[in-house]
Amino acid sequence: MRKEDFIKKNPLRVLQPENEDRRVGLIMARAGLGKTAILVQLALDCLMRGKRVLHVSIGQNLDKTRAWYYDIFKDMVEKSELEDAAAIQEDIHRNRLIMTFNEASFSRAKFEERLNDLVSQNIFKPDCLLVDGLDLATVKHDEVAGMRDFVKEQGVQGWFSAVCHREQAGKSPEGTQLPCDELDDIFDTVIMLMKEPKQKCLVLNVVKDDSGITTPGNILHLDPATLMINP
Amino acid sequence: MKKNLENVRNIGISAHIDSGKTTLTERILFYTQRIHAIHEVRGKDGVGAKMDSMELEKERGITIQSAATYCTWKDHKINIIDTPGHVDFTIEVERALRVLDGAVLILCSVGGVQSQSITVNRQMTRYKVPRIAFINKCDRSGANPFRVADQIRDKLGLNAIMMQLPIGLEGDLEGLVDLVTMKAIYFDGDNGEVLREEEIPANMADDAEKYREELLDAASMFSDDLMEAVLEGTPTPEMIHDAVRKATLSLEMAPVFMGSAYKNKGVQLLLNAVNGYLPEPTDIVNTALDLDKDEEEMVVESDPEGPLISLAFKLEDGRYGQLTYIRVYSGVMKKGDTIVNSRSGKKVKVGRLVRMHAEEMEEIDEASAGDIVALFGIDCASGDTFTSSEISMSMSSMHVPAPVISLAIIPKDNKAQINMSKALNRFTKEDPTFKTFVDHETNESIISGMGELHLEVYVERMKREYGADVEVGQPQVAYRETITKRAEFNYTHKKQTGGSGQFGRVAGYIEPLEEGEYEFVDKIVGGVIPREYIPSCDKGFQKSLVKGSLAEAPITGIRAEINDGSSHAVDSSDVAFQLAASGAFREAYKKAGPVLMEPIMKVAVEGPAEFQGAIMGSLNQRRGIIAGTFEEGTYTVIESEVPLSEMFGYSTVLRSLTQGKAEFTMEFKTYRQVPKNVAEELIEEAKKRKAEKK
Repeated sequence: MRKEDFIKKNPLRVLQPENEDRRVGLIMARAGLGKTAILVQLALDCLMRGKRVLHVSIGQNLDKTRAWYYDIFKDMVEKSELEDAAAIQEDIHRNRLIMTFNEASFSRAKFEERLNDLVSQNIFKPDCLLVDGLDLATVKHDEVAGMRDFVKEQGVQGWFSAVCHREQAGKSPEGTQLPCDELDDIFDTVIMLMKEPKQKCLVLNVVKDDSGITTPGNILHLDPATLMINP
Repeated sequence: MKKNLENVRNIGISAHIDSGKTTLTERILFYTQRIHAIHEVRGKDGVGAKMDSMELEKERGITIQSAATYCTWKDHKINIIDTPGHVDFTIEVERALRVLDGAVLILCSVGGVQSQSITVNRQMTRYKVPRIAFINKCDRSGANPFRVADQIRDKLGLNAIMMQLPIGLEGDLEGLVDLVTMKAIYFDGDNGEVLREEEIPANMADDAEKYREELLDAASMFSDDLMEAVLEGTPTPEMIHDAVRKATLSLEMAPVFMGSAYKNKGVQLLLNAVNGYLPEPTDIVNTALDLDKDEEEMVVESDPEGPLISLAFKLEDGRYGQLTYIRVYSGVMKKGDTIVNSRSGKKVKVGRLVRMHAEEMEEIDEASAGDIVALFGIDCASGDTFTSSEISMSMSSMHVPAPVISLAIIPKDNKAQINMSKALNRFTKEDPTFKTFVDHETNESIISGMGELHLEVYVERMKREYGADVEVGQPQVAYRETITKRAEFNYTHKKQTGGSGQFGRVAGYIEPLEEGEYEFVDKIVGGVIPREYIPSCDKGFQKSLVKGSLAEAPITGIRAEINDGSSHAVDSSDVAFQLAASGAFREAYKKAGPVLMEPIMKVAVEGPAEFQGAIMGSLNQRRGIIAGTFEEGTYTVIESEVPLSEMFGYSTVLRSLTQGKAEFTMEFKTYRQVPKNVAEELIEEAKKRKAEKK
């Protein structure tokens, strides 16, 4: 398959249209369901379209984060017989920057300081910013809002991921599950990844979307074995 | 005959440059009565410390190669492997880390944890080496062991627990408080050899209680007995000892000791700690690769009754001939035994077996599992595994990375020439990543290795140890050429000018080879090329690979297949087909999209977070791709891939960018295509060089 066709056929198109997209979204799931896998697939889609991605990973180390990209890309290549895979991978490598932070010492101030460094000195100007592993149960509302503002200021697309816990079963009026119920107002789009017992797979449920790009509801599936997104 | 392995300690002493490692080793040898006088590293008596056996090390005051030495302390046999503190010699460090079971991490009480300590610590974590810390130089002004202990926790991520407290600091350092026994210890006599035990000074009683409390808290996590005893208020020194040992072996605690080697304070207590808290050989899991099962990993039991497995980890050219340091992992090695080198398959007889004390030695009859000894008169390379004949195992992978940088060396006179070849012969054996060859066009000797400094050290050693005065050329990056697509050839070599003619025709194609350097495929059917000339074709191709037409770099990654051809009953010959194959290659190579490849290095720069932008900028300027960043304590590490050709002089640039606070390590990663504009320049240069030669 040619790269252009691959981009067109990517199921993520419903979530991430090819024309410009500057919303800030949140992906929630219980631990271990595949949030990072979804973020990495969003990132790979951007990268394949020639965009630059900054992946901020909290609590996961550099090698592990890189391994995610490597594994998922390999899977994509095998499944779709993507042409020129080596050259594409080379470009991906060039346009991606991973920053990892220790969970204990992560703060919004640090995040902004380090990212500002990159942008102001014109070292790396991302088109898409991912923040993986933010613990929304402990990080305060203002802090998250601050980071959202930062992403907006850069004029780029942003995706955050958060863990939700079984014991916090409450829901906000908008339908967002705890611990993110108080954060509804921060994000343009909130997606919940959950198990669908009937279909024996995982679904991406768009809980809300203010950007008007995606209609709420179950829009995509995630293969529980490979963690690949399917229509 | 089960030997007592619990009394054996194989330890490394590893640390930042100038933290006093060599001085400490020297003191250890003195107290264990291996030497009878103390010499300073940069001493005025000109003798120098015992462990720095190489002249160069004496001059620079640093330790480059790891010498092993043996001593005994309170019924325990201790083998000390002196490892280099400098990051550029990582092959040495890693080789040394493989053979030791535990380590003492030395830190300067003033300088504290510096970035090289972080590197060394990371290597130790990778090799799962249990360690204890020794905060040295407590007599220096500005000494603060408490701050250093905090740094061990923050920057090295170790669970540092104080086992002692200093009595006085800086110039007033008098002795130490042992928090396990709750006694004060003073070091009397000319060289601090007499230990005097007293009650803890009254003004320190509160502090001692406080830190002992911390120690008990931490240690009781690893022992239920101790926890109960603490609750009842009756912990015994033995209980504390056992719990701390358990925690240290499981890498969950790093007990902290302190003192001043230079002022002879605390060294004996450190030796007690080595015996008490560092592992015996059986505490450590070692693995070997089974060569019969495609290098499958398997556990080596430290059993003297098992089959022999031993690793040659260092060679030394002493005044008595070649000395090979080995660590025995399993079985027994006896004088007169026949052992097998699993790399070469050669059988060798064990002649003399000795235990080393830096430069002096003691003859022994056998060495068993856990021992570190030296062999005489064995011809081998560093990293070779020796086993008994019934098994085929290797302690290290057979894979050696290809050198990425080369340098021409020109001897100044005839004597230097002879000495230089002696030196090169030795170095290539010691270090598999160091290679040498003669360029037939220029008649220059070329040395190649893994980096600028790597080669610099060998040139220095050549001058000092072998008296070979050589001039050195500019360092050259080892470029390569390869092809990007398949191309056909059909070439006839014909020559008929008097005498017997030459005739040969070969047809087929060349294509890129994903893995490996060169492959020759013979698909000739019906004898259109006679059997005896097939190897000639192969040879012809191989000769063409030596120098590519782009920038005279060697060509790699080629599969050549021949599937047709013709011959002549009289005029065909070995030479004719070699020339035909060369011609065919030339023809096809141009069509096969040849490209220039350059070595790419994995460069990790660590420095304070505030310099992140500056560092990344400097890497970008050097055509670097930044892979990512991570945090290590208050430092940020930036991982990137940079072409080697852009890295010359980077250490100076980095220093001035970051006020000397950042450091970098570099290792070979892969070969990658040179970007067009750069390649054009290189090709132009190569053309000029060629023209000059003519």
